[in-house]
Amino acid sequence: MTATEFALRTDGLGKRYRKGWALRDCTLALPAGGVIALVGPNGAGKTTLLRMVVGLLAPSTGTVEVLGHDVTASTPQTLSRVGFLAQDHPLYKRFTVAEMLRFGRACNLRFDQGLAERRLAKLGIPLDRRAGTLSGGQQAQVALALALAKRPDLLVLDEPVASLDPLARHEFLQVLMGAVAEGGVTVLFSSHVVHELERVCDHLVVLNRGRVTLTGDIDTLLAEHRLLVGPRTATDPDRAGAVVAAVHSDRHTTLLVRDGALPAAPGWQARPVALEDLVLAYLRRPSEPSTAVTSGVAA
Amino acid sequence: MFVFRLDTHSGVPPYLQLVQQVRQAVLLGFLQPGDRLPLIREVVEDLAINPNTVAKAYRQMEQENLVTGRPGQGTFVNEQQSAAMSPSTYTSLRRGLTTWLRRAYAAGLDEQAVDALFTSVHQQTRNEEVA
Amino acid sequence: MTWLIWRQHRTEVCVLGLLVGIFGIALLVLGTQAHDLFPGGPARCAGEAGVNEACAASFRRLDEQYGYVENLLAAFYLVPVVIGAFLGAPLLARELEDGTWQLAWTQAVPRMRWLAAKLAALAGVTVALTGTFTAVLTWFRQPFDAWEGRFQYDAFDVQGLVPVAYALFAFGVATAAGAILRRSLPAFGVAFGAFLAARMPVALLARPAYATPLTTTEPVAVGGSTDQAGPVPSFADWTIEHGYADATGRRLSSTEYHELEDAANRAGTNLNQFLHARDIQQFGVYHPADRFWTFQLIEAALFVAVAAVLIGVVVWRVRRRMI
Repeated sequence: MTATEFALRTDGLGKRYRKGWALRDCTLALPAGGVIALVGPNGAGKTTLLRMVVGLLAPSTGTVEVLGHDVTASTPQTLSRVGFLAQDHPLYKRFTVAEMLRFGRACNLRFDQGLAERRLAKLGIPLDRRAGTLSGGQQAQVALALALAKRPDLLVLDEPVASLDPLARHEFLQVLMGAVAEGGVTVLFSSHVVHELERVCDHLVVLNRGRVTLTGDIDTLLAEHRLLVGPRTATDPDRAGAVVAAVHSDRHTTLLVRDGALPAAPGWQARPVALEDLVLAYLRRPSEPSTAVTSGVAA
Repeated sequence: MFVFRLDTHSGVPPYLQLVQQVRQAVLLGFLQPGDRLPLIREVVEDLAINPNTVAKAYRQMEQENLVTGRPGQGTFVNEQQSAAMSPSTYTSLRRGLTTWLRRAYAAGLDEQAVDALFTSVHQQTRNEEVA
Repeated sequence: MTWLIWRQHRTEVCVLGLLVGIFGIALLVLGTQAHDLFPGGPARCAGEAGVNEACAASFRRLDEQYGYVENLLAAFYLVPVVIGAFLGAPLLARELEDGTWQLAWTQAVPRMRWLAAKLAALAGVTVALTGTFTAVLTWFRQPFDAWEGRFQYDAFDVQGLVPVAYALFAFGVATAAGAILRRSLPAFGVAFGAFLAARMPVALLARPAYATPLTTTEPVAVGGSTDQAGPVPSFADWTIEHGYADATGRRLSSTEYHELEDAANRAGTNLNQFLHARDIQQFGVYHPADRFWTFQLIEAALFVAVAAVLIGVVVWRVRRRMI
C-alpha cells in the first residue's frame, strides 16, 4: 500500500503538556475510504490526537501525515483537504445559518454552498435563524454541513454525537453515513461510547491512557479474537502469550484470546466475541508500550 | 420496497443481519424474484449505518446468488434455483415446530429454556454437519 | 476575511464608533463656543501676549463657562484605553471561550494569515477611533492650553500621539491576556489594570527623565512677590522643581528657608529684601515647552514598543500552536 492510500499515518506521535504526556508513541496507518472509530475513556488522549491530526496542535514528538501530506505545513491546500468538527460543534452563535455558510465560503478554496443549502433544507433548518438559537442537534447538523461542504478527503469528528439526544444522534449519523456513501471521504471520529460502533465503523483504534492499545479492521479483529471457556486454570498454558483477558469463576475460566482460528484445546469451548466486549477487554488491560497491536490492512 | 431493520443488541454482525433478513424474506415469500432491493445509499440513510457494511452484505448476497446487481439499475432478487421450500414444505415444517413447542411448554419449559434448548441443539447439529 | 472580521466585531466597532461620535460632536459644539470667546483665536492670548485686558476677560469667561468640561475631560485619558481593550480582548479570547478557534483554524485560511488580518484590522480601527477622538480633544483644549500649557497631566495625556499609543498598549495587553486567560472580560480587566499600573510610574518617574531638564537661577528680586517662588521663564514650560539656593548655588532645604523667613520676621524686614541682601537665589528646574513633541514621541514609542512585544508573544504562541 502506498503512502497516499492511507488517509492518515502517524509515526511516534506524542504530545506532552506541563502535567505530563497526553499521548505517547502513537504509530498508526489508517486506510482511506472507510469509517474509523477512535475509542477510549475520557482523558485517554483522543482529543489531543485528533487536534494534532487536523493541525490545531503541534506534536511534541513524531509526525502526522494526512493523505501523504505533512499537516504541520498548514497551507491552504492541506487545510482544505481536512474537515474538522470539534466537540460540542462550535459555531459563531450570533451568526445566522446563512452567515455561517458565508463564513465557510469566505474561508475555503472550494466550498459547495449549494450542497450545504440542500442538506440544511432537507433537514428543515432555516437559513435565517441565528446559530445560537438552534437546538443542539440542529447546531451539530449545521457544523456537519459546513464541514462537508468543504468536500474534504478526511473528515475528523471529535465526539460528534456525545451531546445529542437519541433522535438527533440517529439523524446526525444518517447524514454522516450518507456522505460516506457518496464516496470520496474518509471519516475518523472519536467516541467514549462503545455501543453501536459496529454499525457505523469498519476500522478501530483503541486508545487508553495516552497509548494505542488496539488497532485494526473490525472484521479482522473479530476473526482473530475469540472466547475460550473451559475448566478453571490460571491461564491456558498453550496460549499464554495470546491471552488478552481472563475471567475466573468457581469452576470455569473464560479467556479472551487472540490466536486466529487455532482449534480449541480439548475440554475448551470456543465462542466468537462481540465487538463491545472486545473493546472493553482492551480498555481494562493495564497499558504497556508492548501491548499495542495492529491488525488488518497494516498487517 | 423492502425495508431493513437493525438489532444492535443481537450480537450478530450488522452485515450478516442484512443478509439474513433478505434470505428470510425470500424464503417466506415477502421478496419475489425480480424485486428490487433498496440502493445502498437508501439503506445507509435509513439505518444510519456504515455504507461499507451494506456493500459487504450486498456482495455476500450476490456471492450466494441470492441477488444480482445490475450497474445503474439496482440490485434484484434472483430466481431461486433451490427454491427449496415449496408452500407445502413450509406449512408442514411450521406445523412440526408448533407441535414441538406445545410439547415443550406442556413439559414445563419456559420461553428462555426453550430458546436455550433450541440454540444448543441447533448449534450442535450445525457443528456435526461442518465436521 | 474582511467580511468575517467585520461580522465578528461589528458590535464593538459600532458601539465605540457611536460613543466617539457622540463625544466628538458634543466637544465640537462646546469647543466652537469656547473658541468664540477668543476673537483672534486662542493662540493670540498664549504666553506673554496674553497679558492684556481682553485675553484675561476671555480666560475668565472660559473658566467660568467651560471649566467643568475641562475637569471632566481629565478623566478622558482612559477613553483610548477602553477602545483598545474593548477591541483587543475578544480578538482571541472569544474564539477560545466559545471553542470556535477550532472552527476558524481548520478552514483553508492558515492561522497566521487569519491572525495577521485580525490584528491589522482591529489595531487599525483602534488607531482610527482614538486618532479621531484625540484630534477633536486636542482642538477643544486649545483655549485651555493657551492658559495652562500642554505639559499638565490633563493636557499631555489626552492629546498628540500618546493617546493612540495608550490605546495600542491596551489593545496589545488585552489581546495577549485574552490568549492566555481565554476569557474576554478578565482580559479587558487586565488591560485596564495594566494601563493604570504602568501609567503612574511613567507619568511621575519616567516622563520627567525623557530629557535632562534645564535649570535657571537668578537672584531674588527686591520687589518680587513673596508668594510665588520660581522664576520659570514661561507658563507653558513644565516645572519639575523650584526653590531657593544660597550664593554658592547650594539648594536650601525647606527648614533652612523657614529659618530665613523667621529671621526676616524677627528683624522686621521685607523677606525679599532680606533674601536679596544675603545673595539668596531662586532656581527652577523645567522642561521647555518646545519639548512637547519630543516627549510625546518618546512616551508613545515606549507604550507602542510594549504593545509590539506583547503582540509578538501572541503571534509566536499561535505560530507554535501553543493555544
